[in-house]
Amino acid sequence: MWLYILKRALQGIITVWFIATATFFAMHNVPGDPLTNDRAMTETTRANLESKYGLDQPITTQYLIFLRNLSRGDFGISFVQENREVNDIIREHFPVSAILGVLAVVFAAIGGVLFGALTALYRNRLPDYLIMFLVILGISVPSFVVAALGQLSLVSLNTLMGFTVLPVAGWGTVMHMLVPALVLGLSTMAYLTRLMRSSMLEVTSSDYVRTAKSKGVPPTRIFTRHQLRNAILPVVTVLGPAIAAITTGGFVVELVFAIPGLGRYFVEAVQQLDYTVIMGTTVFYGAFLVFMVILVDVVYGFIDPRVRLDL
Amino acid sequence: MTAGKENVDSGIPLLTVENLQVEFDTYGGTVQAVRGVSFSVDQRQTLAIVGESGCGKSVTVQSIMGLIPTPPGRITAGSARLRGHETLGRSTVGGKQIRGAEIGMIFQDPMTSLNPTMTIGDQIAEPLQVHRGYSASDAFTEAIRLIELCKIPEAAKRARQYPFEFSGGMLQRAMIAMVLSCKPSVLIADEPTTALDVTIQAQILDLMQELQKETGMAIILITHDLGVVARMADEVAVMYAGKVVEYGSADDVFYHSAHPYTVGLKEAMPMNDPARQHVLKPIDGSPPDLFAPPAGCGYCPRCPYAMQICSERQPQGHNLHGHHFASCWLHHAKSGRKPETIFFKDAR
Repeated sequence: MWLYILKRALQGIITVWFIATATFFAMHNVPGDPLTNDRAMTETTRANLESKYGLDQPITTQYLIFLRNLSRGDFGISFVQENREVNDIIREHFPVSAILGVLAVVFAAIGGVLFGALTALYRNRLPDYLIMFLVILGISVPSFVVAALGQLSLVSLNTLMGFTVLPVAGWGTVMHMLVPALVLGLSTMAYLTRLMRSSMLEVTSSDYVRTAKSKGVPPTRIFTRHQLRNAILPVVTVLGPAIAAITTGGFVVELVFAIPGLGRYFVEAVQQLDYTVIMGTTVFYGAFLVFMVILVDVVYGFIDPRVRLDL
Repeated sequence: MTAGKENVDSGIPLLTVENLQVEFDTYGGTVQAVRGVSFSVDQRQTLAIVGESGCGKSVTVQSIMGLIPTPPGRITAGSARLRGHETLGRSTVGGKQIRGAEIGMIFQDPMTSLNPTMTIGDQIAEPLQVHRGYSASDAFTEAIRLIELCKIPEAAKRARQYPFEFSGGMLQRAMIAMVLSCKPSVLIADEPTTALDVTIQAQILDLMQELQKETGMAIILITHDLGVVARMADEVAVMYAGKVVEYGSADDVFYHSAHPYTVGLKEAMPMNDPARQHVLKPIDGSPPDLFAPPAGCGYCPRCPYAMQICSERQPQGHNLHGHHFASCWLHHAKSGRKPETIFFKDAR
């Protein structure tokens, strides 16, 4: 097991290096640079700044410097927001995004498994049709629409009740988190519901469930002991990529609900060609996702004994 | 050991199935999968149900167990009585669960019939927890004993393993251990050796016979392997197109075959006997469409001895001697034929 984790960690480091390299060269091939803006700048100032940031060096040298700093966990200072270290930006804003993302994933996973199992149990009956209709909606409607609608319904709810049931925007308490996390996790929940439904149906008609029935095991016990654990496997498999989708897709929801997450910096940095912030946030997100995928795979081993021993 | 001992003197058979009829609703219409099947089996007896794929063997036994999904399945007529108590549509008989406690079942493919994410020991222990109220640890200890009983070496270690760590033969042993845990009075084995290779087949069959001697349970063995039938069965029911066409003791059915289909099956069986130049003779044609069962005998289009009446009216059952029974017009007094001269007296 430990050997497996070590192996996956090494693979992960290579993946992160690859992400960093690709981002680095992609950004440097975009026309313009962070110092090109409206402010008047003399040639001397420009040359000074360029030498300060090492932008006058050949790109290979810049790359090596970047790698050296990266290995120390130092992403440098933002070009645009002066005197702000990229590490500070991440440290300040990532926890917000992470809490939101994790909450959304938890919503999505619990909801997906629950609704998926429900639709399978009530196959071709009213609850199934109802939930599957909502699932199609959840998959098709983009998150900014859902976010806006969610906010609108919060406003209506608060006016109707005459006091603030749940805050419409902002960040701070658990109350602030609920609706944004739900909105963020909605499409993933819909996707997981479909996956869980089909996997549950497959398990229900499997030979070993028939065996369990022939043993006289009561239906509830068949469900918990035989069906759920086997049906959940495909859901766990896609949970890694789902976490990726949720954390990177958080930007829109963060914007709509005025949540001070990392997503805003991630996007603004690209618009302003803020090299260090782009590199920092991208590599950080990349590393985070790689970590989550490894975590999911390790957890998978605990659920499916066949994977556990194949390592 | 304990199974069915109250039944010894009562005179009624342990399990009696009468005129069982099962239908399935499908997109193509209603399939009459089982069209009036009757048989009975007593304790310490082995009944083999023989027939080709789709003749209703499995549906028959799954109906007794209540394993037919309804819908699309439907039991339209008939009864199945365990010690005189009706089991169809019921989950308990005399306070005991039918499934698992009274009747145990093992299946064709042991590789897929066990839960891949649960240890073998836990799966064997489960019926004990469900039916006997054992605690989890007591049930597991008992499971290890059962695994030993079924001749799996290193039982304690094997109990903690998962199905993918077992071979097919070992899995089938584990299945048998699981079914035996609550000492059922009837064991239904639905093609238990079809997925296994021949040497393992023999071991599994031996194990079943040995356990039958020990526990006195009745075995209903579903198979299309006549070799297995000859080795195991006391009684044989030959099924064709949802009906029992011949029924009797193994000797009667093998050596005094009284239905053309049984004869056809025997001729289609390979034999390891160089002395006899036996050419395999397949039965031409295919079974009738059970969406619209024929008015006459289902075997009529494939039968070399078919007469006019065979395609028009259902043959009646004829008791030949003892309880050897065949459902064929050739045995009717007016057929003008002597079945003994038609069928081989001894095909083996």
